[in-house]
Amino acid sequence: MTTVTADTPTVRPPLGRTQAIGWFVVVVGLVTVFGMGVGTGSAPHSTLTFTPIDVSHGAPWHLGNLTLPTEWTLVLLGALIVALGAEVLVRRLVKGAMVRVGLMAIVFLVAVLVWASRQPGPSPVPFINVTAILVGSAAITMILIYGSLSGILCERAGVVNIAIEGQFLGGYLVGEMIDSATNNWLLATLGGLVIGGLMGWLLAFLAIRYLSDQIIVGVVIVTMFTGLASYFNSWVLTPYPNLNNGNIASNLAIPGLMKIPIIGPTFFNETGYFYLMMALVGLVSFALFKTRWGLRVRAVGEQPQAAASVGISVERIRYVNVILGGAVAGIGGVAFAAIQGQFTPSITSGFGYIALAAMIFGRWRPSGAVAACTLFGVSAYLAYNLQSYQVPISTEILLMFPYLITIAVSAGLVGRVRPPAADGIPYSRE
Amino acid sequence: MTPSLRRLWDHYRSASPVTIALLALVLGLVVGAVIIVATTPAILDAWRGAVHSWTGPGHALKVTFDNVGAAYRSIFTGSIVDPPQFWHSVTTGQNWTASLTPLSETFTYATPLVIASIAVGITFQTGLFNIGANGQAILGGVAGVAVATLVHLPMALHLPLTLLAGIAGGVVGGAIPGLLKAYTGAHEVIVTLMFNYVASYFMLFCLLSTPLQLPNQTNAISRTMPGGTQLAPLFGTASGLRVNYGIVVALAVTVFALWLLNRSSIGFEFRVTGANPHAARASGINARRTLVTSFLISGGLAGLAGVTWVAGTTHYIDQNFLQGSAGIGFTAITVSLLGRNRPIGIVWGSLLFAALEVGGSNMQANTGIPYDLATVIQSAIVIFVATPVLVKEIFRLRALRAESVKVATAGWGL
Repeated sequence: MTTVTADTPTVRPPLGRTQAIGWFVVVVGLVTVFGMGVGTGSAPHSTLTFTPIDVSHGAPWHLGNLTLPTEWTLVLLGALIVALGAEVLVRRLVKGAMVRVGLMAIVFLVAVLVWASRQPGPSPVPFINVTAILVGSAAITMILIYGSLSGILCERAGVVNIAIEGQFLGGYLVGEMIDSATNNWLLATLGGLVIGGLMGWLLAFLAIRYLSDQIIVGVVIVTMFTGLASYFNSWVLTPYPNLNNGNIASNLAIPGLMKIPIIGPTFFNETGYFYLMMALVGLVSFALFKTRWGLRVRAVGEQPQAAASVGISVERIRYVNVILGGAVAGIGGVAFAAIQGQFTPSITSGFGYIALAAMIFGRWRPSGAVAACTLFGVSAYLAYNLQSYQVPISTEILLMFPYLITIAVSAGLVGRVRPPAADGIPYSRE
Repeated sequence: MTPSLRRLWDHYRSASPVTIALLALVLGLVVGAVIIVATTPAILDAWRGAVHSWTGPGHALKVTFDNVGAAYRSIFTGSIVDPPQFWHSVTTGQNWTASLTPLSETFTYATPLVIASIAVGITFQTGLFNIGANGQAILGGVAGVAVATLVHLPMALHLPLTLLAGIAGGVVGGAIPGLLKAYTGAHEVIVTLMFNYVASYFMLFCLLSTPLQLPNQTNAISRTMPGGTQLAPLFGTASGLRVNYGIVVALAVTVFALWLLNRSSIGFEFRVTGANPHAARASGINARRTLVTSFLISGGLAGLAGVTWVAGTTHYIDQNFLQGSAGIGFTAITVSLLGRNRPIGIVWGSLLFAALEVGGSNMQANTGIPYDLATVIQSAIVIFVATPVLVKEIFRLRALRAESVKVATAGWGL
């Protein structure tokens, strides 16, 4: 809370850190140019293709392959990274520095992909399927956005919801079971909404009524539901495998729009959860910033005493928002099940926490969260995808990447973001 | 009732921390029972039969109590003592191994748990969250196994060096969130949560690389630690009891923590910072140094917990080391809260939770009910302990003398 109280000095990031970030980006760019680019020689080429993997609803208009000279492409991508770093250094960017680091991460991973897929080269996959990468990234991004929206709803009202991971898990389990039993994703979604809402209620009940520490209660709720999910997995799903049949939701293609190359398969040939997510982003943005309800929520999150003094019920707003947040994360869990299939106890693998970090990176705004989730989603998918190109980095190290970038981003953020002033502070009327 | 008895009764009806903890245990077991009832086919069938055939709830109730009773009886006999077996040993003097195995297992499991929980408790006392104790314990285990299997030394040096390596591994894991928070302000909750995953993948990476991997294996499994680097069983290998000299390490850590938190000036700075960071800063305590030191000590102890577990019981690690329900670093968070972040309380809390875990495995062996139920019961207990007002209301206790577990936090504190 260093930013709002007068008695503590405001933590301003020293300019040195911005410079350090800038130089770091420049060095990564130089590594791209000289480490991967120069020296691959003029013979290798990298090929981009654009045909989506899923053409069950009809293929988009055909785009030919694009063959690029590997060396020059890498030099160009490296130069782009250097330019990003130089921009941070020259313009002394404080607020935008971490955004540049995020862009750097994506460009760098693309460069690694270009380098790894070069032919003649060691890669068994001779091309980069741009459309497939975007479709895969969109799936991860969607899950993260559900989590971030949940976090925004709770934290804008002043309650830290660290239990998103648990709500994902609960939604996943319940959604998978209901869909397996009824073959109806709509019922599954309702189930996820209810279980997520209940978990949100539990957090709200303990945090608002009993003024418990929200982070502690959140962590314990996650522990509890992790145990409960394992319990269900061995006690119910193993003897009744038809409750965990791993069906995934079919895509709802939007006619016409889905024919657009690249964009069509990514945005207009998705499951219903993707469109629901886009609608929720718009709805939450509008409700938070353009309606009376949103103003009240934000007042409760910033200055609960002041809000209470004009007759707003702080407890009620917080209850409603935490339950709503839980429900959104619960739906996110069902969406996870709808694209991933069978439930296993550790299936959510920390995505709820990454979503939380993305929410912070996105400054507690839906639009910012979408950008941050896209960054995490794309980089996570690229890192996972590199495995199939047999790059000389072991799989385990590649799998660390999403977590490492989350750590790196939260390390670069201080002083550049400000949480709602009453975030995480229990409110009591006395 | 005589006045003195009434006073005693009133004393227990008022919500002292011990009363709250015991009642929380009762409530936790009730939650567990509800879950068993709601998910066990035999019980559900009995109730469905009772509803359909209008026979009254007698039979269904009996089935319910039989099943829940069998589950909780297995937890008790598997973790503390099996009375018939024990009586058999007392009267005939035979089979002491079988009689003492439950307690031995509980103490075996409690050993690393005490250490890890104290690690978490120290950061809680400083007002910091170390949710990465599991990752730090993993690094400690990996470092310990590496030194034990790759270095050749006389035993007198090798075992201490193995334990030290474990501490060093954990210190590295603690330094990352500590330094990042001190010098960049990154919130330790996010960093430690992410770090757990990084540590798990790092362990897999190590287990699959030549130096550490068991030769001629493709699975993620390490070489076995040589005998000289293992923590020997307390009553000798012949006894068949797994309880080992790790207990000595755990006791030493407890004494160290008592000294650190109550007697040393660093510990005083920890507690002042935890109670009121503004006052701490005003009185000249170096906030940054306190934060980093707290995380280094906590990480080191978590690493020690990891290496103690390997050196004392399994003697090798595989890809399941401290994963999922076996993640003592996560259990440690709940134990620390149960023990109100104080060393002695943590020791009792570890014994209780270790008994639940060990008993849970016995329950799974006897009744098939998965041992993960133990995790659920533990979490429920901690939720109740963290909200004493709720327990007080449920049991209509008198004046509350227990405060809720306080950790000085202000949201993200960015």
